Amino acid sequence: MNRDASPFRPGRWPLALRVPVLVSLLMIAAAAVLSHGVLQRLSRDQERHLGELSAAYLDGLATALQPAAIRRDVWETFDALDRAQGRYTALHPGVAMLVLPDGSILASSEPRRFVLGTALPEGLATRSAEAAGRGAPVMDEATARATLGRDLAEGGMGLGRIVAEVDIAPLLAERAAVRRTLLLANGALTLLFAILGFVLVRRLLQPLEILRAQVAAGGETGRVKPLPAAAIARAGPEFAALFGAWNRTAAAIGEREAMAARLAEEERYAQLGKLASGMAHEVNNPLGGLLTAVDTIATHGDDQQVREASVAFLRRGLDDIRNVVRASLVTYKGRPGDGPLHREDLDDLRVLVRHEVERRGLHLQWENALSAESPADRTLTRQIVLNLLLNACAASPDGATVRVVAITGPDGGVVIDVSDEGPGLPAPALALLADPEASPPEGGGLGLWIAVRLAHRLGGRISLCAAAQGTRIRLEVPGVGRVAGPREALAHVA
Amino acid sequence: MRQDRWPGRRRLLATASCLAGSTPLRARADAPAIRFGLTPVFLDSDLELLRDLEEYLSTSTGAQVQLLKRRTYQEVTSLLLSGQIDAAWICGYPYVQNLGRLALLSVPLHHGRPLYQSYVITEAAAPAASLSELRGMTHAFSDPDSNSGFLVTRWLLARQGERPETFFARSFFAYGHRNVIRAVGSGLAQSGSVDGYVWEVMAQREPQLTRETRILNRSDWHGFPPVCCLSAARGSPAVRALATALEAMPSTPPGRRILATLQLDGWVPGDPAWFDGIARMSAEVGGSAS
Repeated sequence: MNRDASPFRPGRWPLALRVPVLVSLLMIAAAAVLSHGVLQRLSRDQERHLGELSAAYLDGLATALQPAAIRRDVWETFDALDRAQGRYTALHPGVAMLVLPDGSILASSEPRRFVLGTALPEGLATRSAEAAGRGAPVMDEATARATLGRDLAEGGMGLGRIVAEVDIAPLLAERAAVRRTLLLANGALTLLFAILGFVLVRRLLQPLEILRAQVAAGGETGRVKPLPAAAIARAGPEFAALFGAWNRTAAAIGEREAMAARLAEEERYAQLGKLASGMAHEVNNPLGGLLTAVDTIATHGDDQQVREASVAFLRRGLDDIRNVVRASLVTYKGRPGDGPLHREDLDDLRVLVRHEVERRGLHLQWENALSAESPADRTLTRQIVLNLLLNACAASPDGATVRVVAITGPDGGVVIDVSDEGPGLPAPALALLADPEASPPEGGGLGLWIAVRLAHRLGGRISLCAAAQGTRIRLEVPGVGRVAGPREALAHVA
Repeated sequence: MRQDRWPGRRRLLATASCLAGSTPLRARADAPAIRFGLTPVFLDSDLELLRDLEEYLSTSTGAQVQLLKRRTYQEVTSLLLSGQIDAAWICGYPYVQNLGRLALLSVPLHHGRPLYQSYVITEAAAPAASLSELRGMTHAFSDPDSNSGFLVTRWLLARQGERPETFFARSFFAYGHRNVIRAVGSGLAQSGSVDGYVWEVMAQREPQLTRETRILNRSDWHGFPPVCCLSAARGSPAVRALATALEAMPSTPPGRRILATLQLDGWVPGDPAWFDGIARMSAEVGGSAS
């Protein structure tokens, strides 16, 4: 899978999604930085506040414990520690104790936990030493406790160390509450800005969406429609200018299409004109014989054999005239979308060009191997092939062979080769084959230009095939997966 | 220990009735102040009680009575012996240690008797069933000059050939029977020596403290901590006024309120014989029972 074509690639997301996502990401980044700053500041303030309260607490304890520490008075030490527990409620003091220089506990406020005369636990000893050294609490968020330490000395002689633990769960809870509030507020703001961004960008891009829908509709119908004046009036100045340009383009395309349609129509009638004398001849030819047959019946009508022979002749002659008339009617009265192409629809064309073939002494090889019914549009396909056939006849020298081979393609479509023994296509005609959207040629070749455009609108193409002699042009009209249906594609052409 | 010389209820009531009709004297501004020393032989932490006692004594004696408190028995005893105070409510142990210099002024009656016991207490959940099972533990004494808070336990150990310094892993003085109960109740010490009277009063007034302790041993009956004065000052007006005021306490409403708070019945003139048991223990452990 091509990664660039992946719909999950942000570059392929619609702008209305990309901008809000970008805004959200920026908001999240800004919120993260802001929240980090706020929490850092809160943390620092809390630690400073805790440090100040701890210092006051330790000052009080130190004052009360100093005389007891000098005398190593167990009771007075305990009494002072115990009484201090009920005070300093803002600090949430936990256990407090006086540790002698040898590391043993003189007394603690929780004597059952920190037994008189036992050594201070190593972890607490380390933390309290650090706290005493730096003169600030050592915080341990995992246990939600801070350790305090204050060394007592008298005349340069160490008396011991006050070790205390403080419950910092309320501080951590406050931090968590602030974090939650920040998260919720920032989350709500981010969501709000994302929604606002989405709505605003959608609104900003609405003119573009109108234009896109117009372009898409043009792709569907093959017709480029101008935007209504109200849409231009609603759009901002930039989009109004863009809409104006679009409408001018649509008008130009419309004019061109109208001209192409007129040309196609005119070309059809030009073909009719070309074939009119031939067709008249085709009608006139049997008329002499038919009148003779009528005379024969009138004279020898009693003779059953003669009458039957004359009637049979009359029937054949009238059938011939009917075929010519029918072929011309089908060709020139038919409208695009009349129905699918039948095998005999192609055969009708032989009748239409028969006079031209005979007049030029050409040999027409006709191999119609189409299936009984093909999905190609009947009217347009016949017009294309008739154009190619008339061109082949015109290009062929007298007495040459014109060959038509029609087969059903692998997808059920139509593949028709028209070959002649002429000098080959001139350069302008070759250019027409390469560019179905080219402007109409000047000085001839209009029939091929029309044929190429009609084939393109049918979703097919006309191409030049290699030939040992002369020219072989191939019409391919797909059976399935056509670019556009004939009705939709050609409704405005013919 | 048996005490056979304690005043009967009849004598107490007779004393009270003699004083019932007397009008309490008002404290006179020109009368010399009476200084009365106190030790933690009772709940001296009750400031309201001290105020009432001071007011009662001042009113009853007609002189300004100043109550003086010190942290140790020894400090109060020293003040008394040096004549800096007129009388003091001390323990029987300092009394017997200074028999020649100190005289009994008045002795409280508790449950109608001038007697009390010493308790050895432990933590409520401690498994120890006897004093000997306290070996190697931490013990809280009240005061080195306290009979119930030191001497009795020392004497009990001495009878077993032990000394507190070697029998207990650690021991300390809490300087107050209430402190001893707090020390044992909190786990600071696993056992303690305490005045039985104080423990019983606290069991009613502060049961949350005594609930954490258990009485392991009750001693014999000893003479209740007396109010003493210098023998030489026994006849001074201040001392006599104090004795009169104490013994008249059950006869006045303020006095009865004080006695009710102290859970005492009244005061009687003391008999040195009530303290013979303390003197014997003191002698046996090597104290100076002069």
